[in-house]
Amino acid sequence: MSNGKIVKVSGPLVMAEGMENANIQDLCQVGDMKLVGEIIEMRNDVASIQVYEETSGIGPGEPVVTTGEALSVELGPGIISQMFDGIQRPLDTFREETESNYLVRGVNISPLAREKKWDFKATKVVGDKVEAGDIVGTVQETKVIEHRIMVPVGVSGTIKSIQDGSYGLDDVVYTVETENGLKELSMMQRWPVRRGRPFKQKLNPSTPMLTGQRVIDTFFPITKGGAAAVPGPFGAGKTVVQHQIAKFSDVDLVVYVGCGERGNEMTDVLNEFPELVDPNTGESLMERTILIANTSNMPVAAREASIYTGITIAEYFRDMGYSVAIMADSTSRWAEALREMSGRLEEMPGDEGYPAYLGSRIAEYYERAGRTLSIGSEDREGSITAIGAVSPPGGDTSEPVTQNTLRVVKVYWALDSSLAQRRHFPSVNWLTSYSLYLTEVGKYMNQELEEDWAKMVQHSMNILQEESGLEEIVRLVGIESLSEKDRLTMVIAESLREDYLQQNAFDDIDTYTSREKQFLMLDLILSFETEAREAMKLGAYYQELIDGTEKVRDKIARAKSISEDNLADITKIKDEMKKTIHEIVAVGGMTQNAKRV
Amino acid sequence: MAHKIAVVGDKDSVLPFKVLGFDVYPSPNGAKARETIDSLAQEDCGVIYLTEALAKEIPDTIKRYDAEIKPAIILIPNHQGTLNIGKKRIQENVEKAVGQNIL
Repeated sequence: MSNGKIVKVSGPLVMAEGMENANIQDLCQVGDMKLVGEIIEMRNDVASIQVYEETSGIGPGEPVVTTGEALSVELGPGIISQMFDGIQRPLDTFREETESNYLVRGVNISPLAREKKWDFKATKVVGDKVEAGDIVGTVQETKVIEHRIMVPVGVSGTIKSIQDGSYGLDDVVYTVETENGLKELSMMQRWPVRRGRPFKQKLNPSTPMLTGQRVIDTFFPITKGGAAAVPGPFGAGKTVVQHQIAKFSDVDLVVYVGCGERGNEMTDVLNEFPELVDPNTGESLMERTILIANTSNMPVAAREASIYTGITIAEYFRDMGYSVAIMADSTSRWAEALREMSGRLEEMPGDEGYPAYLGSRIAEYYERAGRTLSIGSEDREGSITAIGAVSPPGGDTSEPVTQNTLRVVKVYWALDSSLAQRRHFPSVNWLTSYSLYLTEVGKYMNQELEEDWAKMVQHSMNILQEESGLEEIVRLVGIESLSEKDRLTMVIAESLREDYLQQNAFDDIDTYTSREKQFLMLDLILSFETEAREAMKLGAYYQELIDGTEKVRDKIARAKSISEDNLADITKIKDEMKKTIHEIVAVGGMTQNAKRV
Repeated sequence: MAHKIAVVGDKDSVLPFKVLGFDVYPSPNGAKARETIDSLAQEDCGVIYLTEALAKEIPDTIKRYDAEIKPAIILIPNHQGTLNIGKKRIQENVEKAVGQNIL
């Protein structure tokens, strides 16, 4: 403990002297109101403190008390389905206690509810040797998530007592005889947010994380343990893409960090998620979601912390052996928070005023994602998939936040405002986006589907790329100048774009497409191409094909609204399409070579 | 490389061309003519003479090869006289090329 005195207040930055005993990253209570702050810079005995609450009314001369502890999160049962602010204060409880819709200052609320009792089931017995990371028991926290209680980092020894029963978070649940004596442990542990939780080994991510979004799963897949960036200008649908992934990805747990965006977007999540059913478990989505909200009107400094709070919680569940996805919407607001603090600290600015260490901070965050083997005697495999939205001002992706993000992520979903204006959603631009996991995922999918999925994807991508080249010609000299073959390519590309890539997030059926349906739909479009090309070879004309298949092409376009239960209908359309094309060939095609007299 | 010249039309109109050494393909109707032309196009035929009477029935086929280098489809009158389609096409092409009808 050390007592200092405020000498300067500048927005969320407070400087205090007489802090020679404090350490960097210590938490402090600032001013008479005891606002929460964190030391981010020390110069002799003057500490610069970023305050996680509004600082108006604070003045020089007021005391600053350090707690000697780093900013930490509480990890234990009761964390799921909660909505926290950037420094893990539960907003529900906050509202009840303060009776205010806005953040009231100087309120001290414990992140996890202490009074609630949880049913603890021990999986170890007295006398077992445990080391850090070992699971000693479980708590069925929600219907889908079993909270596994792990021995905290730094503790190992022999279990002296452990018993099933109903416990609160502060109760001693088990004791461990360590080298330094008996340790009483509860179900809860604390972890400083700025330090990554330890793991045994990092593995190469290879299994895809299915999101139910066709353009993502097919063309730009992400793996469990991968990292992706979603840059896009305003209104391109970043938030919807993030929400869709949060809703439908096949992970065990989702941490959603609403970072500096509109409050209504978090309200949407709160309204929608409890009602939506997770297609993988059949339970409400809220049962596997943790929300962290620092909306645009909440204190800037806490925005900086919210990302770390989120990923620390994600790491905790990863260590239990779960696959976790963390969405951050948006990392640009977070970078802007960094910029604001950096500016107030009078640091030398880098590109566009962002601090010079922006790149390393972004990398630090994304590097905490990954597929890992957890510490402890059992090898548990868990993963964190990090997906960060980036809002480049003006949609110009050459700005520092996007560029620094692209340096560390392997998947890039470029949202395009021109697609969004054409009402093509999700507006992922198929020409500029990329995924470096395509080969691994292709191999995995080939095995799972027992078809040459990778080849289909590659072929479809080629068609889409060819289309953009042909479009240039059409713009210059008109569609008439194209050969029939190229005109067919245009039709197939259009079908791919409109019938496959376009997906309505607000349609009950279209919002989620399983892997099998994706295969059938893509196969349907590609077999139409094969059949049509074959028919043309046999002498059918482009115009005849287009006129003749109008009805069946309409059916292909509607394949997306076939529900997951009636997937056989797609195969039926395929048969019908083949029949129609064969009929066209029979009428107009060549049955034999020309005969000369 | 040498290309062949083919003549497609009703039997009476095309037979005389055989004397000149052209390949002659009598076609009784449009569908047959279309099949013949498509097949000839694949066989590397350079020029196809087609009677106007048949051309009237298969405008799609003719249009299809308009943009291709070969075969060049040239319309000819049949033994019953001209329908003026061939001449009109030439005039249209001239107009397209020069900007106005100079013929």
